[in-house]
Amino acid sequence: MAALRKGLLTRALSRGIKPGICTNIIGARAASGAPQGMLPGPYPKTPEERAAAAKKYNMTLEDYRPHPDDGCGYGDYPMLPDKSQHERDPWYQWDHPDLRRNWGEPIHWDFDMYIRNRVDTSPSPVDWRTMCKHLFGFFGFMMLMFGLGEMYPSYQPVAPKQYPYNDLYLERGGDPDKEPEPPKHYEI
Amino acid sequence: MHLTTLILSSSLILVIAILIYPLLTTLNPNPQDQKWAITHVKTSVKAAFLMSLLPLMIFLDQGAETMFTNWHWMNTAPFDMMSFKFDHYSIIFTPIALYVTWSILEFASWYMHSDPLMNRFFKYLLLFLVAMILLVTANNMFQLFIGWEGVGIMSFLLIGWWYGRADANTAALQAVLYNRVGDIGLIMAMAWLAMNLNSWEIQQIFFLSKNFDMTLPLIGLILAATGKSAQFGLHPWLPSAMEGPTPVSALLHSSTMVVAGIFLLIRLHPLMENNNTALTTCLCLGALTTLFTAACALTQNDIKKIVAFSTSSQLGLMMVTIGLNQPQLAFLHICTHAFFKAMLFLCSGSIIHSLNDEQDIRKMGGLNLMPMTSTCLTIGSLALTGTPFLAGFFSKDAIIEALNTSHLNAWALILTLIATSFTAVYSFRVVYFVTMGTPRFLPLSPINENNPSVINPIKRLAWGSIIAGLIITSNFLPSKTPIMSMPLTLKLAALLVTIIGLLTALELTAMTNKQFKITPTIPPHHFSNMLGYFPAIIHRLTPKLNLSLGQSIATQLIDQTWFEATGPKGVSSLQVKMAKTVSDAQQGMIKTYLTIFLLTTTIAILLTMI
Repeated sequence: MAALRKGLLTRALSRGIKPGICTNIIGARAASGAPQGMLPGPYPKTPEERAAAAKKYNMTLEDYRPHPDDGCGYGDYPMLPDKSQHERDPWYQWDHPDLRRNWGEPIHWDFDMYIRNRVDTSPSPVDWRTMCKHLFGFFGFMMLMFGLGEMYPSYQPVAPKQYPYNDLYLERGGDPDKEPEPPKHYEI
Repeated sequence: MHLTTLILSSSLILVIAILIYPLLTTLNPNPQDQKWAITHVKTSVKAAFLMSLLPLMIFLDQGAETMFTNWHWMNTAPFDMMSFKFDHYSIIFTPIALYVTWSILEFASWYMHSDPLMNRFFKYLLLFLVAMILLVTANNMFQLFIGWEGVGIMSFLLIGWWYGRADANTAALQAVLYNRVGDIGLIMAMAWLAMNLNSWEIQQIFFLSKNFDMTLPLIGLILAATGKSAQFGLHPWLPSAMEGPTPVSALLHSSTMVVAGIFLLIRLHPLMENNNTALTTCLCLGALTTLFTAACALTQNDIKKIVAFSTSSQLGLMMVTIGLNQPQLAFLHICTHAFFKAMLFLCSGSIIHSLNDEQDIRKMGGLNLMPMTSTCLTIGSLALTGTPFLAGFFSKDAIIEALNTSHLNAWALILTLIATSFTAVYSFRVVYFVTMGTPRFLPLSPINENNPSVINPIKRLAWGSIIAGLIITSNFLPSKTPIMSMPLTLKLAALLVTIIGLLTALELTAMTNKQFKITPTIPPHHFSNMLGYFPAIIHRLTPKLNLSLGQSIATQLIDQTWFEATGPKGVSSLQVKMAKTVSDAQQGMIKTYLTIFLLTTTIAILLTMI
């Protein structure tokens, strides 16, 4: 009680530099309150900065490669190969099996695009150009043929209605005194 | 109130109430009975089916249809909430849907018996069924939309039933996203109707639409049907949906949910009758779908995928029928298709479980120990191909005859005939690989058909597959005059192309004795096996473009634009550009400038003197 009044607990919990009691027990920590050395920083220009950045991101110096410094704001974040989680071994005992990732592994800049529910970059049995050519070629061919089919539709042959004898000459307003021409009847 | 109408309305409300009752019991805080799924859900669906036979009999005897509105929404007259229309479409479809669901629930009590959450599974299926019944009995677009979204969401929950599996999550997401694209069309149609016709009631829409150009809402409705009924362009979700348990595939993705899009078009068909653009769109889209998905089905090795593509192909055929201005034939095909497709799925499920969850047809074969299942698989495949006098024949043959004798796009006709022969090919492929030849499964597979929960549903659906076509055609007059006189070739066209397909398939199976290569390497095989490369291209390209665009806009582009390009960097680059242009102009040739200046001044003065 007295400790509470003195604010000791609050101070103990709000200390950001040293890990608190919770971290010792659970091992998990919030993304906020990270010490300055753990946050992403500016583009590493000197070899010492590169080494420090590689250590920060838990990579070896040979593997570490930052994004090019072209003003897009990547800083010293590592540029990992653009491979999605689909390409990782499905049978290996990952720490996080659904993410196919081990604890502490550096996360790709676009990791949310490369999870198993989204973009798959694994090599396809047929190469990309052939696939596009075949699919769009098929679709284009179909559209062309549908256009031709509209121009030349299919239908059963039809003819105007024919009546026997003189094809209703009088009923159609023919002159009763004139001799009607013999009508030509067609057969389908 | 007249006695007939009273009985009709009461029994139909009772059907819905019987279906809703088990859902209400789940709100009880006390823990459920272990056998709740069987004692409550299956029994209620069976009771609802028997109850729904009464309106069907009244309709058959007297041709009585009814419409009633239960719940007016405030005082806005044309916008009601619950308005039921029991015309011949819903009176026939409701008993069929309930019969098929009853069989599937009984099967599911065996298939899912080892699942600890079986009660929840049944609850989801029942909720889906209620949404579907609301959809088919809707008399206004609002209730139809409620049912439409309801079946979409339940499809998502049921496909992702085994949610620990990433592939199932992806499939469920695909289903809901593709359906959402279709929903854009439905919402656009509803908005147009509300704005221009000021009503969502179906009768009022039919009456008021005579003076309007309905092309825009019809395109919206066709888009909705494309999404829900897996037509070409929005079709990949249907084969992916096979990640869900087999009862889900049997109920949702063959008999009921996927026909909702076609049913929407059938319901609102009077709007389309005189609009040639909409009819041609339906015809061409349906023809393309039916051929494309039948071609994809030819080289699949997963039994459920083959049946899924078969469903997609038949949905394309239904769309073709709508494009021919024959909604009743499309509805007939919906009804007959429900029976044999659900049976094909149940047989697949029985075989899969008996072979210890083996789904590859290359590892099945010689299933003599499952005589009932393999027989019913064969009956279902025969009905699917349109074998004379089974259920599929009455609808499919009528459709092909209507195709042959109508004035339509010639290429659509050719595609549909080719797809019909492909149907025979892949159906025979399924039957050959699954039931015939020597066994290719593991020796100690627990093959048995001893449980009546498996056999009775399959038998019931087999009866339906055999006699449903005959019963429905005998009792319901067509509203559009069918053409009865045509040359013999056209009359037999469906049978001829099916036999050609069967002979081709037999010829190909004779080649399976010799092994040419380990895996096929010819391009057409790759095109067919990889589903026309459609998922491979679209599911990699569009999400990647959208997500990386979104990412770069959100994190980089906005800051770079507002802090740099419209600020200091923009100003400086503009200045540099202007400075360069101006300094190019300023060459410092003073004498030339003075000469030109003098010349121009002289000419101007001389001009004023003239």
